[in-house]
Amino acid sequence: MKKALPLFSVLMVFAFLLAACGGGAPAAAEKPEKMTVWIQWGDNPAQLQELFNKFGEANGVKVEVTAPVEVDKIVTALNSSTPPDVLILSGGDLVKSYDAQGFVEPLNDIIKTSDIDLADFYAAPLKTCQMGETYLCLPWGHDIYALFWNKDMFKAAGLDPEKPPKTLDELVAMSKQLTKMDADGNITQAGFIPDFSWGHIDLYDQRFNGSWYNADGTELTVNSDAVVNAMKWEQQFYCDGIKPQQLLDFVATGGDYMASEQLFYAGKTAFQVDGEWQVGPNFIPAIAPSLNYGITAFPVDTGNPDKEGSGVVQGTVVLIPSKAANKEWSGKLLNWMVSPDIVAEEFSYNANLPTSKKAAEDPRFAEIKGFDTFINIMANPASTEFTTSPIQQELTDEMGVVEEKVLRECADPKPLLDEVQAKFAPLLAESLKQ
Amino acid sequence: MDQPASIETPLKKQRRKLTRMEGHNLRVGLLFISPWIVGFLIFNLYPMVMSLYYSFTDFQGILASQQTWYANYAAMFRDERFWNAVKNTIYMVIIAVPLNLIFSLLCAILLNLKVRGQSFYRVIFFLPSIVPAIAATMLWIWILKPDNGLLSTVLSWFGVHSPNWFLDPLWSKPALILMGIWGIGGTIIIYLSGLQDVSQTLLESAELDGANWWNRLKNITIPMVSPITLFNLITGVIFMFQYFSQAYVFARFASVGKVEIIVGRPMDSTLFYSVFLYDKFTNFRYGYASAMAWVLFIVILLCTIALLKASNRFTYYAG
Repeated sequence: MKKALPLFSVLMVFAFLLAACGGGAPAAAEKPEKMTVWIQWGDNPAQLQELFNKFGEANGVKVEVTAPVEVDKIVTALNSSTPPDVLILSGGDLVKSYDAQGFVEPLNDIIKTSDIDLADFYAAPLKTCQMGETYLCLPWGHDIYALFWNKDMFKAAGLDPEKPPKTLDELVAMSKQLTKMDADGNITQAGFIPDFSWGHIDLYDQRFNGSWYNADGTELTVNSDAVVNAMKWEQQFYCDGIKPQQLLDFVATGGDYMASEQLFYAGKTAFQVDGEWQVGPNFIPAIAPSLNYGITAFPVDTGNPDKEGSGVVQGTVVLIPSKAANKEWSGKLLNWMVSPDIVAEEFSYNANLPTSKKAAEDPRFAEIKGFDTFINIMANPASTEFTTSPIQQELTDEMGVVEEKVLRECADPKPLLDEVQAKFAPLLAESLKQ
Repeated sequence: MDQPASIETPLKKQRRKLTRMEGHNLRVGLLFISPWIVGFLIFNLYPMVMSLYYSFTDFQGILASQQTWYANYAAMFRDERFWNAVKNTIYMVIIAVPLNLIFSLLCAILLNLKVRGQSFYRVIFFLPSIVPAIAATMLWIWILKPDNGLLSTVLSWFGVHSPNWFLDPLWSKPALILMGIWGIGGTIIIYLSGLQDVSQTLLESAELDGANWWNRLKNITIPMVSPITLFNLITGVIFMFQYFSQAYVFARFASVGKVEIIVGRPMDSTLFYSVFLYDKFTNFRYGYASAMAWVLFIVILLCTIALLKASNRFTYYAG
């Protein structure tokens, strides 16, 4: 008996190993007890948790929502063996960077075997998630930028308050007309500040028919004539007839983005490029309810009239981490999230653009004053996605520095953009090889 | 030829076997410090060695890396933003460190005076140094706001126009230096301990010999606290080479009305070495970031050695 025991043990081990390696038809993944959803933004975590509880209740799974989550934590989690089951990012710019590291699960198989209807997505947001034929993510509510103008300031300057600028040249002319200075040369009211509240190089580039990349995102084109011309156009607002410091001193008099002292809310700037959330319950109606404003698609360059009524979309995307524990259930959750009913419920609440065409027909969106302007811009066939690449973050940093030099030092953009092109073209080529 | 006895004897001593008790003590000692040894090997030595290895590769995360030898170092030295970061860091080392030392010594001298309520004043001066760096920076952002900040409001009472601390690259570093000076409580305490060790006999003798306050300070107090100055100087230089939190938060929150995050704003004027290193790290350029970390390590090491060597000229150790 004593001799038989080791032999029996060895046989048992073999039996377990064979069982573990056994083939046969793949069994359905076991239902997890708990699923985790991480959301990079998350203005209202309790509301998001409530939304995901509906999936949990319908499927007998506990869904735990963590929001907001810092990028540093996301990177660490994606690199670990326990990433979230579903990750929701504020923009598509990080997805390709993460994919280059092997952190992202391609969604093609999940899409094929689920109810996800790609035709129901607006074209421009969907492109944000595509890398060739591969879907790295799916858009889940998006953003698009339009031009807000202050009708009272128009009236005071003798302009027709119902006629916003149609072309970029008109915007420059109106901006000059709306700018006021005191006797000491201090700006007391400005027309348009191109990088306030933040930079919109992508939108201005699109207006000049340019982009940082070629059509399929494989080559860098940051020193193309279109990008150079877009920067030169921006430069006029800082360097034509005034000194950059005058405008910067004026900008410094404004409050935070969501404060009533913010320059546009306070009636100190006549124009602002901003997103659809501004018309939602948490922004203009709450912070500056008496603001008399209008919204229109950003003006076009006279040489590129085909861009009229269009914009550049970017916004929230959902991905499944490559190391997610139960990808089948991650896929189920994703399928539920992008269904029209859920998209309509979530994004009518937050006043963000629904990426589902069926969801956009929900009456709750029609109740938000001015929201239809943004939906129309997104649906415009000339609207484009915010093209990204695996080197996006670093390139965005560098382009931000170039924009600062062009606007604040009145520097010639061409040599600066040539330098960026020379520095980043090899990095892009290298990153796409991986 | 026989070895001289004087050499052979110590060698023999070294080879002497440990007694049973000594061996036992050694094993127990090693066992007691083993948590530290294991921690050091896993969390310090291993990452250091790996970062040196990665600095010669294009490592970007979890994918296999390729050997690139000195490519990261070459790219770093060709990068204009890297040199901006170096210049900004050197600015802080040259301007902020001496200013911190001067203000710390002056405050410590004041706090060493025998006046009523001195303990209270000492607490007041020390308190800012225990405020977390991020909270302190947020507080100062509020104070320095050009439009309605506390400082600009006070300056406006005297008809002085507040500088544009956040959007003007000329004023962003002075703003950070100002914040730094506010938090010198730790350095003050170290100086204070040194001042209390200055011989009263020497000071009284000098006073009897007719030395005024300035002469006593210059010829007795400052030389007597010079070892403290050396310590504060070295730790201050190391801190400034690694300057990060305040600058990162400053660039992130100080851009009035802005919500986008680009490190180093405005105009790369707050792009310090560690900030740039962190930026590379978050952009998955682990190889590049590791190369930067090793250059920083070597620079700090050389600076520390140089300061220690040069300290012979300005440091006086009584006794």
